[in-house]
Amino acid sequence: MNYFELFGLDTSFNLDTRNLSETYQKLQKAVHPDRFAHASSQEQLIAVQKSAMINDANQTLKKPLKRAEYLLEIRNTVMPNEQASFSDNSFLMRQMELREMLEEVKYADDVYTAIFEATQILDQEYELLFSSMQIQLGENTQESNLSACDNLRKLKFYEKLHIELDRLEEQLLDD
Amino acid sequence: MAYSEKVIDHYENPRNVGSMDKNDPSVATGMVGAPACGDVMKLQLKISKDGIIEDAKFKTYGCGSAIASSSLVTEWVKGKSIEEAGKIKNTAIAEELALPPVKIHCSILAEDAIKAAIADYRSKQN
Repeated sequence: MNYFELFGLDTSFNLDTRNLSETYQKLQKAVHPDRFAHASSQEQLIAVQKSAMINDANQTLKKPLKRAEYLLEIRNTVMPNEQASFSDNSFLMRQMELREMLEEVKYADDVYTAIFEATQILDQEYELLFSSMQIQLGENTQESNLSACDNLRKLKFYEKLHIELDRLEEQLLDD
Repeated sequence: MAYSEKVIDHYENPRNVGSMDKNDPSVATGMVGAPACGDVMKLQLKISKDGIIEDAKFKTYGCGSAIASSSLVTEWVKGKSIEEAGKIKNTAIAEELALPPVKIHCSILAEDAIKAAIADYRSKQN
């Protein structure tokens, strides 16, 4: 049983995350230790394992990039090794530019505007990649899954840029 | 996790940070990235007509180990022929910097950056 099935969902990318947390609560209640207080230690162990799996499933399904990665895994799309270098030149050039842009933020005359603009740029580019990945995952052919995988790897760079930006924002607000 | 002294030295005093004109026919540019950590590395080599690397510059956004790996590589490749530089292995980089297993991918990134730069040079020659 995969995580989607565990949550009573179709094995597809698009899902309603609000229903997700309701299902999560319901599933967890069913395996709550209180219900197994008088059960055998074997049954208690199974309940604990099930609870851990429900937890993993929830963590995976609620985060879009994790969900995409999991879905591609189920579809046997061979993901390049996480550590393998990525060599799409124009994409990496753009990443450099974006990193440089983030570096400049703290020297801006108006730091808040600079953060706001940087956030908008990152969000826009993220959305663009995200929606193509979404379409490709929906098509679910071998070729579209490979393209989705490529976009997922690109999105991970944006995820890191967002973390950088958040850290920067915190730093500037602390000063 | 503690960084080795060599990593800290390269991190605090990175060698050869900077950029060259990527449109210059004698400049080779290698760009690589690692989705797992979001690191981006740019290595540029200035190559003489007889294939000797005269100068090297890098710009890396990433962790200390990634910065140290690329900084070290710029020192190593200077004066080498592109054939010799192409033989630099990530294991040698990792050993020199005493990188822990979880940071081996930083040295792989640096090796791949050299390869990407050489490939760029070759494509410019043709």
